[in-house]
Amino acid sequence: MPDKAKDAKTGREEGWLRTIGSKIWYFFNSLKLTLFVLISLAVLSIFGTVVEQNAPVEQYLTQYGEKWTSWIMYTRLNDMYHAWWFLAFLAALALNIIVCTFERFPPKWKSLLVHIPEKFDPAIIDRFSHRETVSLNAGSDAVRDRLLKVLKKKKYGVSESGTKGDYYFYAWKGRVGRLGSDFTHISLLLILAGAIVGSYAGYKDFFAVNVGGTVSVPQAEFKLRLDKFWIEYYDSGQVKQYKSTLTVLEDGKDVLEKQIWVNEPLDYKGIKFYQSSYGQSWNRIQEAQIAVKHKGKEALGETITVKWGETAKVPGTRYSVKLAGYTGDFAYDEATNQVFSKSAEAVNPAIRVEVFDGDKEIATPWLFVKYPGIFPAIPNADEDLVFTGYVPVMYSGISVNKDPGTNIVWLGTSVMGFGFILAFFVYHRRLWVHVRETGKSTEVKIGGTINKNTLVLEKELKDITESLTSD
Amino acid sequence: MILSLVFFTFSFVFYILTTALYLGYWVFKKKWLGQTATAMAFIALASTSMILISRTGESGHAPFSNLWESMMLFIWATNVAYLFMEYKYKFKVIGMVVMAIESLGMLSASLLPYKFKSVEPLNPALQSKWHWMTDLLSTWGLEKYAIGWLDFHVFTTFIGYAGFAIAFGLSILYLIKERSEEKGSGGALVSAFPPSRVLDEMSYRAIAWGFPFLGVGIVSGAVWANYAWGTYWSWDPKETWSLITWFIYAAYLHARVTRGWRGKRAAYISIAGFLAVIFLYWGVSFVLPGLHAYA
Repeated sequence: MPDKAKDAKTGREEGWLRTIGSKIWYFFNSLKLTLFVLISLAVLSIFGTVVEQNAPVEQYLTQYGEKWTSWIMYTRLNDMYHAWWFLAFLAALALNIIVCTFERFPPKWKSLLVHIPEKFDPAIIDRFSHRETVSLNAGSDAVRDRLLKVLKKKKYGVSESGTKGDYYFYAWKGRVGRLGSDFTHISLLLILAGAIVGSYAGYKDFFAVNVGGTVSVPQAEFKLRLDKFWIEYYDSGQVKQYKSTLTVLEDGKDVLEKQIWVNEPLDYKGIKFYQSSYGQSWNRIQEAQIAVKHKGKEALGETITVKWGETAKVPGTRYSVKLAGYTGDFAYDEATNQVFSKSAEAVNPAIRVEVFDGDKEIATPWLFVKYPGIFPAIPNADEDLVFTGYVPVMYSGISVNKDPGTNIVWLGTSVMGFGFILAFFVYHRRLWVHVRETGKSTEVKIGGTINKNTLVLEKELKDITESLTSD
Repeated sequence: MILSLVFFTFSFVFYILTTALYLGYWVFKKKWLGQTATAMAFIALASTSMILISRTGESGHAPFSNLWESMMLFIWATNVAYLFMEYKYKFKVIGMVVMAIESLGMLSASLLPYKFKSVEPLNPALQSKWHWMTDLLSTWGLEKYAIGWLDFHVFTTFIGYAGFAIAFGLSILYLIKERSEEKGSGGALVSAFPPSRVLDEMSYRAIAWGFPFLGVGIVSGAVWANYAWGTYWSWDPKETWSLITWFIYAAYLHARVTRGWRGKRAAYISIAGFLAVIFLYWGVSFVLPGLHAYA
């Protein structure tokens, strides 16, 4: 408020603190700031849609070169919606809303409660830009009754004064519409608050769970087991839906079973579990097919099926074989001497088997489905083992999300919907009517204001005068 | 032959005819031309409705799942909004601009590559029917007519787009009219436009319709995203651009209501806003990758 700023300037005793305080207050109580922040947020947000967010540094380097990448990193453009300067704009918007609400709401509330003018001054009607005058061949009482009927039908509140031959009416409708902007503004604050709560008190995680596997849920006293995973298809072969059956385990006991799919999460004790993806497990299969190959023969011999972790006799030989390991995309790290999966996809599937001669383990080779027989499976033997196929274990990708702020956000959006209805579809109309008998006829002068959409008011005034004359 | 594409061809012709009729009404000022134009707009609306209905029959779900289908919804909603406005305010001249936008919309939809037009079943993320509605309708065995987040989200968003499209047309008319009023000598053609004050107010009204609907569209998208993906806002390009658009129109409303920015400046913001809508709708789908790959 300009008054406050002036007070602060003149009141020397209040000191510099008050001066600065009122200057800040004045700064945030400005609509210019609102416009500036809104336009700035709109323009700045564009950058984040052009520069990909949260990508690995290598990607920026190849896309923009070294100089621009360091600039992107310096300005936080790679994660700009969480950068301090973007959050500062949001904070400015929030402060702007808070200060404006504090300044404008109390006087508005008061003027809505005490809204009937104390004294009716008929001259006011001539000052409205929207007004109508009609003359009726009827007494003032008849016109008064007719007017009250019309206003009542249009659901106006009416306050009446004056005496016979000279009536004054003040009519109003849709006062609550004035509060729409306040509701909308408060709803934005609620949504922001919900987002802040969520970012501090919540977390996001992701599990890839093999069928039969159990995972511990972070920040919770329960575990989750994947009992079943399956995919449903359309006749055309496109994926229709994928679903998991999850069981919640508390103290080792099953407490809840639920099917989840995309658009159907499990909600347990404030933590939500979403079906988000699926795939073949990269470190486990159900079973492998292994064929025997005899030296000197082109064709493969008999094929056996070995289940995960189990041992099977290789027919026609003295060996037996155990399925001990699997990796979806075989890679070997020479430094640590370890085998690992390069990706989660089955690009180069390989199994590790343990070969026994009687009870004695004689070899633990890796066998490749795509490269059969590149390494002999059994050293110094006439037989070789060939990995010909396998039945995968599917994993279900489950997103975990704990966000206690969500409910605040939903409260905010409900308030926003309510605010929208008030702000955009409820108009505050105020009408002043002067009914005056002049000899044989009665003159009705009507004028008024509306808080938005003056076309509606014009139409309303025409409607009222028409229904006064047509009856 | 796909029935919806047959209706599309008819509708395309109807919209061009409607545009021509409104133009004819503007130039020759014959009452019968205006009436025919309005009648033709209704025929085009009926035909567009048939596109949506037949597509629903063909795909087995509400036709909101790819760019072509959403384009038909946009054209339908804009037509409904326009006819409602014509009925309310009785200014037929505006029809030529709105119907020109409709014809351009049909043209751009017809130019879409086939993969944006084809009849597709819903992918897992788009299957979002409301349980309560499915349960309620299953009482009468009608559960396949239940709607869900997809339908609500797309529908509200596109009512918003329709409002902004009309506001855009009105703002252009406003700028032309305002210029001629300033010069003091409008030609006979420009003087057929409604007074600039009215155009300004109507364009504000259209935005005041579009703004809350876009808001509800954004919010319902957030609710749905939270339901499907576990996060209500992920700064995906589509989300961000919808927010950008919403901010622009929020600036428009604040500037207008409280600082009295009417007329020219308001018209420029309205035009900028609609350009943002176009980018939000088409640009993001083609240029910027994201979660919102379908339309």
